[in-house]
Amino acid sequence: MNILNILLIEDDMIEVMKLNRTISKLELPHNIVEANNGEEALKVLQKKDELPDIILLDLNMPKLNGIEFLNILKKDDVLKYIPTIILTTSNNQRDLLECYRIGIAGYVLKPLKYEDYVSKIEKLLGYWSINELKQI
Amino acid sequence: MSQDKIDMLQRALAREKAARKQAEKILENKAAELYEAKQKLEKSYSELEALLNKTDSQLQGVFENIVDAYVIMDLMGNILKMNDAAVGLLGFSDASENGNLMDMVHPTDLKLVAGTFKNLLFEGTVTDSNFKIVTKQKIEKLVHVNASIIYDEGKPVAAQGIVRDITEINSLQIQKERLLEKLEKSNDELQEYAHIVSHDLKSPLRSIDALVNWIKEDNKDKLDEISLHNFSLIETTLEKMEQLISDVLVYSSVGVETLEKETVDLDALVSDLKTILFVPDHVSISVIQPLPKIEGEKVKLQQLFQNLISNAIKFIDKEVGLVEIDVKDNGTHYQFSVKDNGIGIEEKFHEKIFKIFHALNKSKHSTGIGLSIVKKIVDLHQGQIWLESIPNLGTTFFFTLKK
Repeated sequence: MNILNILLIEDDMIEVMKLNRTISKLELPHNIVEANNGEEALKVLQKKDELPDIILLDLNMPKLNGIEFLNILKKDDVLKYIPTIILTTSNNQRDLLECYRIGIAGYVLKPLKYEDYVSKIEKLLGYWSINELKQI
Repeated sequence: MSQDKIDMLQRALAREKAARKQAEKILENKAAELYEAKQKLEKSYSELEALLNKTDSQLQGVFENIVDAYVIMDLMGNILKMNDAAVGLLGFSDASENGNLMDMVHPTDLKLVAGTFKNLLFEGTVTDSNFKIVTKQKIEKLVHVNASIIYDEGKPVAAQGIVRDITEINSLQIQKERLLEKLEKSNDELQEYAHIVSHDLKSPLRSIDALVNWIKEDNKDKLDEISLHNFSLIETTLEKMEQLISDVLVYSSVGVETLEKETVDLDALVSDLKTILFVPDHVSISVIQPLPKIEGEKVKLQQLFQNLISNAIKFIDKEVGLVEIDVKDNGTHYQFSVKDNGIGIEEKFHEKIFKIFHALNKSKHSTGIGLSIVKKIVDLHQGQIWLESIPNLGTTFFFTLKK
């Protein structure tokens, strides 16, 4: 199983706490880097020797929103290879189609109940930790 | 002359006489026939003349009474004859005034009209030609013209046309198109807005749920039963709140016609629903007659049946629950019914239940939006919805959908 370096792009503090807590609760070995919005995430991604294995991306964010960020990411010759999974409350078909059009590796809806969230994150990270990923 | 010869001559004479008499008779008959034919011809000629006079006066009536402007002009555009409507439309003071139609064409449309005139001469008619004119009173008008050539012994001599003032209709049309465009845009915005609001409202709920769970986890053995029960009440409340937000979002998107209409097989739709919906063991759903195919939006029609069927299931209090779906053809619409043997609805609530936020039974799963969504969908398909119910015996919802 791969130990994943995960970039979480999320503006909601409690959502960040949720992912952190879920990973420690499940006793997973993965590392999380946080960015509060797209702008911050782009800064993180400037360090080309420390690129994350996967990105978890929220859509509704201030400044640079999720879709704008995704567009920039997919135009970059290096960054476009990082699997990006949308983690959002928006089940707006328009958002979903647009994301798949630009290129995403998954679209996961945040559930209301915390235990459902834990179970979704467990499956998601389980899946990506058995995938072959681009070596940096 | 021998007696034989005389006899022979006499017989020949008699034959000749008879033949002549016969010929005379034939001639007489022919003359009678001829006379009769002449009489008939004269009669039909006078009838024809009467008819012609009549038609002419009828045409005269049409000419005078027609609402649209009617103009006859020579091939140079000089007006030969016009009715009162034409006098009004073109801004003349009376029908005897001289004028040339070509001179009245708005400068910007001269080229267009020249082309139309050419077509008229070559084809003999033009229909639905629209162009701008400037009337004698110097007022700009947009007119709609249908015209044809008048021929005399195969040669074109004049043209006649029906002219209609569409200035106002046209501006109304433009106004309507603008309004529709605006409506579409604001519908779109509203839809986006509803999604954003629903996201923003749901986010705090998720956070509260996570926080409650963490408090529970972190204080596992410290919380008493009452506190644990209260925490579970918070979670139930959160679920209800989330359901409300989702339903409001659905309700607001139902009115927006985004998808193209398609042919929907309701029979297949309902049998699909039977597998998707949670149906308790004691409840059976039956479709009495095969349901038709109708034109509509599949997602919305599914919402419609899903809401009514799950409502029927939800309010069944009998040991053996029955839900019956049926259909009747009433000409322009199909009339559907969803019947249950549940708790029933008192008559005083029959109107109220279709209004938003009017759940009769306050429960975790009732937000009071379901039936207002149903009503909105039925409205969209130009139908009606009503119900018959006997408390404690059951309820039948009826609704019609346009074919």
